[in-house]
Amino acid sequence: MSLDSIIERYRNRAVADEPAWLKAMRDAAIADFERLGFPTSKEELWRFTNVTPLAEQRFEAASNGWKTDVRDFQGLETVRIAFVNGIFSAEHSHLEALPDGATIQSLTAVLSEDPVRLQGRLGELADAGSNAFVAANTALFADGAYIELAEGVVLDAPIHLLFMAGDGDEPFAVHTRNLIVGGKNSRATVVEHYIGAAGIAYWTNAVTEVFADQGAQLDHYKIQQESGRAYHFQTLEVSQQAGSRFTNHAVTFGSVLGRDDIRCNLGGEAVESVCNGLYLLTDGQHFDTHTFIDHEKPNCNSHELYKGILNKKAHAVFCGRIMVRPDAQKTDAVQSNKNLLLSRGAKVNSLPQLEIYADDVKCTHGATIGELSDESLFYLQTRGISRGRARSLLTYAFANEVLDAMPCAAVKDYVEELMLAWLQSEAEA
Amino acid sequence: MALLEIKDLHAGVEGIPILKGINLTIDPGEVHAVMGPNGSGKSTLSNVLAGHEAYKVTRGEILFGGKDLQELAAHERACAGLFLAFQYPVEIPGISNMYFLKAAVNAVREYRGEEPLDAMDFIELVEAKKSVMKIRDELLARAVNSGFSGGEKKRNEIFQMAMLEPTLGILDETDSGLDIDALKIVADGVNALRSPDRGFLVITHYQRLLDYIIPDHVHVMVHGRIVKSGGKELALELEDEGYASWNGEEGL
Repeated sequence: MSLDSIIERYRNRAVADEPAWLKAMRDAAIADFERLGFPTSKEELWRFTNVTPLAEQRFEAASNGWKTDVRDFQGLETVRIAFVNGIFSAEHSHLEALPDGATIQSLTAVLSEDPVRLQGRLGELADAGSNAFVAANTALFADGAYIELAEGVVLDAPIHLLFMAGDGDEPFAVHTRNLIVGGKNSRATVVEHYIGAAGIAYWTNAVTEVFADQGAQLDHYKIQQESGRAYHFQTLEVSQQAGSRFTNHAVTFGSVLGRDDIRCNLGGEAVESVCNGLYLLTDGQHFDTHTFIDHEKPNCNSHELYKGILNKKAHAVFCGRIMVRPDAQKTDAVQSNKNLLLSRGAKVNSLPQLEIYADDVKCTHGATIGELSDESLFYLQTRGISRGRARSLLTYAFANEVLDAMPCAAVKDYVEELMLAWLQSEAEA
Repeated sequence: MALLEIKDLHAGVEGIPILKGINLTIDPGEVHAVMGPNGSGKSTLSNVLAGHEAYKVTRGEILFGGKDLQELAAHERACAGLFLAFQYPVEIPGISNMYFLKAAVNAVREYRGEEPLDAMDFIELVEAKKSVMKIRDELLARAVNSGFSGGEKKRNEIFQMAMLEPTLGILDETDSGLDIDALKIVADGVNALRSPDRGFLVITHYQRLLDYIIPDHVHVMVHGRIVKSGGKELALELEDEGYASWNGEEGL
């Protein structure tokens, strides 16, 4: 059982020279994990996602290797921090071109050089006490990215966080921990990019905590290209102060079983929060997105657009919860989840949840599950486009709304290329 | 050889017979108008010709350039030179008009064994064709028909026809919902495409469009049959008398 092996791994780990507060946090987290165990489908938040295959798998420690060449990610090579099987790789990183006031380092480096920078931040947002994945991550994380932008620092080049998984004979686990601190009026683009060598089995269990101080503008992306046998679970926790803007664009191609848990806390006035996503799933892939947009203060906007394209026997879950607390007057919250089924075997569960405790607010939500329209297909065909190509084009058109909303051209172009390749391979299969 | 030869065509949708024996021959260079009251089967005829799968041919034959049209899928008909301008052009959010046109032009070229146009050549072609239809660049950048006005949609249809250069253009009630200015632009676009080797089938409810696109032949269609054929003056007769005498009920 994986539960036991995780606890055993924790007890047997080489005790690193870590500050006392972190040791205490890890001890508490493993106790939480032991108490919580992996979630079962009896729990409301896990009704449609069965993690039994993951819970029953034993994972070894990751070996350190990446045999595949790292391809050139155009427009994303300027600033990069890379990890191979969860461990920082200087070889694949580019951290030379940073302005004053911008820190990008591996978490372990910060822990050994200046751990005080993490205290009061790390673990502040992600709650190990209520989430087994966060608990396992907190107990066992080895490394991850640390980004800190001092007040007013603006970084134009996107920061590429590249997580590569490869070279594992036995299934292995990678607990990645990222911490992003955007100081007052700072501005940056952060791209979390998970990529796995074809055919290998592993478990990515990532936790990313983001602090956006007053007036900060952070554009965050996740491109998930894990191997088709991987399990990918991530908890993204965002805390926003007054006048800040945070956008998230999550694009999912990989993993056999995965989930994004995203929580944005709008903890100041005039905050803007955008959470978008696109999942392209096929075969037996199962991917679950849970978002929780927590409006605490007045005059904030949140906007969610999640689109899914499902082929063959794919299964997607979207659960979007919006909380508008009593103090959050003049909230403007929009949520939309649209799904396109390309085959009869595909399945979607879409669950919008609105909890509104303020009276002067605007909240809308909508969910759709549909197929390609015959009239649109016919229209394209009458212009000489074959039915197969028309299907691809209309599928592309469906997804384009999410791509168009991405402010970073390099990411948009890269994702578009992946999407076209995906459509091509689905059309041929 | 005739461009289009329809012989004793019977067709329907969901088992309901609509066309009940249509005979029609269009020679290269000719413009034929089919007029008729609502429900006479005019749009069914255009959908059958374009290859809509919901419409089933139950009897008869359609030859397009001497080839059996029913052997061809909808996109093959388009590639072979048949173009349908829709009564209600479909909106496709998420694909720009330019991207769509390029995909269409190159699909047709590929079918004909020609090299695809590269970006530069394609833009040149667009520049050459867009002015007649008064297509602004802004309209090209927008998603296909999305949020277009009625007039913009119809102009866009004729613009697509100009780009694809078919041998047979079918206009399915292209005049519906157009004001007089838009109607003139559409008619100018069609007239600019008239040539000795290209034919048109203009389907319309009203005579008005035929003041601008002068037909060589006019056919009156009622209850799935062509009940009268004549020259352009037949359209004027209809304008005066309506369809009542054929319809057995109130016409226009």
